Amino acid sequence: MNPQDLIAPSSPLGNPAPFWFITFFKVLGFILHMIPMNIWYAGMLIVAVFGTFGKNHAEELSHRLSRSMPIIVAMGVNLGIVPLLFTQVSYYQFYYPAGVLIGWPWLSVIFLLVFAYYGVYVYSLNVRNNRKTKFAVASAWVSSILFIIIGFLFANNFSLMVNVNEWTRIFERTNAAGAVTGQALNISDPTLFPRWLMMFGIAMMTTAVYIVFDAFYFRKDSTSSGYKAWAIRFAFGIFTFAAIWFAVTGSWYIFGALDEFTLTRVGNSPSVIVLFIFTALSPGAPWLAMLLMFMRVKSNLLPSKSLVATAALAQFVVITLNAISRQWVQNTELSRFRDITTETVNTQWSPMIIFLLLFVAGLGVVGWMISKVMAIDKAAVSSRG
Amino acid sequence: MLIALIATIHIFTSLYAVGGGIVLAGEVSHAYKINNKSLLDYLRSHTFFFILLTVVFGAITGVGIWWIIGLSSPLATESLIHIFVFGWAMEYVFFVLEISSAFIFFYYWGKLDPHTHKIIGWIYAVSAYMSLVIITGITAFQLDIGTWTPDKGMWVAFFNPQTLPQIVARSGASLLMASLYIYLHAAFKLKNDSNLRSLVETRTATWSMVGAALVTIGGAWWYINLPASSKAALAGASALNVLTALVFAASAVVFFMLYFGPHKNPGWINPGFAILYFAIGIAATSTGEFIREGVRKPFIIYNYVVGNNVLTSEIPKLQATGYLNGGVWTKAFVRSHYPQVMGLDGNIDGAKLLQLPETDQLAVGKILFQYHCNDCHSEKGFSGVSEYTRGWSESMINTVVTHLDKAHYFMPPWCGTREEAILLTKFLESISLNSPSGMIFSGETIRSKSDITQMKGGGIGK
Repeated sequence: MNPQDLIAPSSPLGNPAPFWFITFFKVLGFILHMIPMNIWYAGMLIVAVFGTFGKNHAEELSHRLSRSMPIIVAMGVNLGIVPLLFTQVSYYQFYYPAGVLIGWPWLSVIFLLVFAYYGVYVYSLNVRNNRKTKFAVASAWVSSILFIIIGFLFANNFSLMVNVNEWTRIFERTNAAGAVTGQALNISDPTLFPRWLMMFGIAMMTTAVYIVFDAFYFRKDSTSSGYKAWAIRFAFGIFTFAAIWFAVTGSWYIFGALDEFTLTRVGNSPSVIVLFIFTALSPGAPWLAMLLMFMRVKSNLLPSKSLVATAALAQFVVITLNAISRQWVQNTELSRFRDITTETVNTQWSPMIIFLLLFVAGLGVVGWMISKVMAIDKAAVSSRG
Repeated sequence: MLIALIATIHIFTSLYAVGGGIVLAGEVSHAYKINNKSLLDYLRSHTFFFILLTVVFGAITGVGIWWIIGLSSPLATESLIHIFVFGWAMEYVFFVLEISSAFIFFYYWGKLDPHTHKIIGWIYAVSAYMSLVIITGITAFQLDIGTWTPDKGMWVAFFNPQTLPQIVARSGASLLMASLYIYLHAAFKLKNDSNLRSLVETRTATWSMVGAALVTIGGAWWYINLPASSKAALAGASALNVLTALVFAASAVVFFMLYFGPHKNPGWINPGFAILYFAIGIAATSTGEFIREGVRKPFIIYNYVVGNNVLTSEIPKLQATGYLNGGVWTKAFVRSHYPQVMGLDGNIDGAKLLQLPETDQLAVGKILFQYHCNDCHSEKGFSGVSEYTRGWSESMINTVVTHLDKAHYFMPPWCGTREEAILLTKFLESISLNSPSGMIFSGETIRSKSDITQMKGGGIGK
């Protein structure tokens, strides 16, 4: 069976926007999704571990993370809709077949997510009510494991999407009278495990930065210096471990899993080489900022808030470079089968303009609401201080 | 089935997410105005219940609909995405506003000044309502594309004849559903505070009466604007007749219960009454949604994509060159497993299909069934063809297969060649059940379908 034969013809409707526009919003949406998703992906494990075994500051970290986790999950799920939407515009010939081939595991994402999210709430509500029942702790563990499984299923679908050769093998193996049964997983794909584990490494880094950011920006009381110092020491350790994890799994992904076609394309493009080098080295910037914080703590001093903000900004750059590099790899891997950049475009100008206007107006309204909230928090600190 | 299950579960919470937002914003504004602290406290507890249900369950099941329609109807889904991508993108903006405002509305309750708190409540309400408007336009398009053609843009598709009626009906349903959730919540939460419970019930009754009126107006308008095929489906299918009667009956019951219950006698609503009330509301909503989906047959998108995931524009070509040739997966599978039927032009040769051994013909017939019929029918079980063809002769089956849309106007036309129809017929005949034994007409007992086949002079292709 020739894999090329399995790619559906182009939509007669054409793309409603130029390819660059769709890709831009897909990548932007993915970046925005990655921030909260990273925090729940690795953060829930910290919540569960410290919720079970943690004492003092460790337990406080578990509680702090769990209190904000319902909002983080809601924002992450919500922001994940954007890349999913734009994936379905330009990559539908690959996205749908991959999903159908692993249909049942892929569909289970929804049910797993519902349970995981309610588990988050169960633990969070317990913490808010100053209780910690066995059921709540078990819920935190279940949520944490479910999030990791969901990550694995996403890695399955998005690796299968670009591995059309594997479609034929799964189809042959799992069809019933020529119809896909959707009972497979893409586990023989060499990119699957490094891809999944690499994302977990990025998630650990983001969570480490968030822990410090939360301690300095969201914890307001004047007795928090002990916790802040502890948070920096802990986050620095986690970040260092995560950076090594990222380096190992990233190297595995690029040098051990990517096919020759993609690697050759990398080699032939100086700009892509530069992009990859920056992506690989980018965790160094937040790590340096964390190191400076750690050294301040070792000298019994607390770092400035601007240094914390710098670390957060640097981690944002790490996420952004990763998202851009991933997009390049995805496009390149797909180009083996179909040049999706040359699809017919029938730009829907007026809906696009109205969307962009709404997007800007929406950001404005969100900004206004956040300003109101920040004013309250500021007033609360002033009244306490 | 899975689409219906996830979509129905979603609609219970999504309607509440919209109507509940409007009612909460309105009631919080009122509570501030009359400075009623106990009412505000109750509304706060209800908001938490509201967030737990809508932000978690509602949001994820909403994404779940995308998952399941993408898995079961990729062609229709990607068509909708290509037509409405900016509609969905706009909805996403409103969705961000919904989530942000919902959390701020709840978590900063008592910290925000009343004026700002009210504004944020209304930001939620307006955003949620705009989500309803956009999504309703898209689902209404599936029922009637109006004057849209592929060369026309999103607005023509959005402002189809069904959009406004459905927006009115769903606006009403959202208010009604929100009221039922409030009654349910208040019946338990305010069990020991009859004064506050009466106040909440009386106030909510006004919203629900408005909702009931909008559902009635929107429902009638929806029916008037239905395409002829949908009206025929509604008139012709006895199950839909019964369900429509049920919806009207349940709606009438809810309306009278509203009037004589919370409106006239607010103290009536106890937990048992609230549960019953809620159950009737859920039954009416899910039945209404079932009918709304049912009357769309045979289309997934009216006059554009038929139920077995074929573009209507492709049907003549498939009838000429073959259904198996038209599908990338079917063609690849046949080429791989039955290379002997491939012609010199690289396409499947219909005549060669009939030269396959009988078992292979049945196997190819089953492939045709899986792709042409299985979106709506199983072999046995729910909507099983073995039951529908009970006692039919091969020639009867073939006649129906080749005239599907004529035999049942709510089915798509046969989308393959004459040879493919023969193979599908053979497969269907192989799984069709015998007529029930013991039935006697004119003194003769009909024993099996083979009797009929013999009586009619044998099957097709023999």
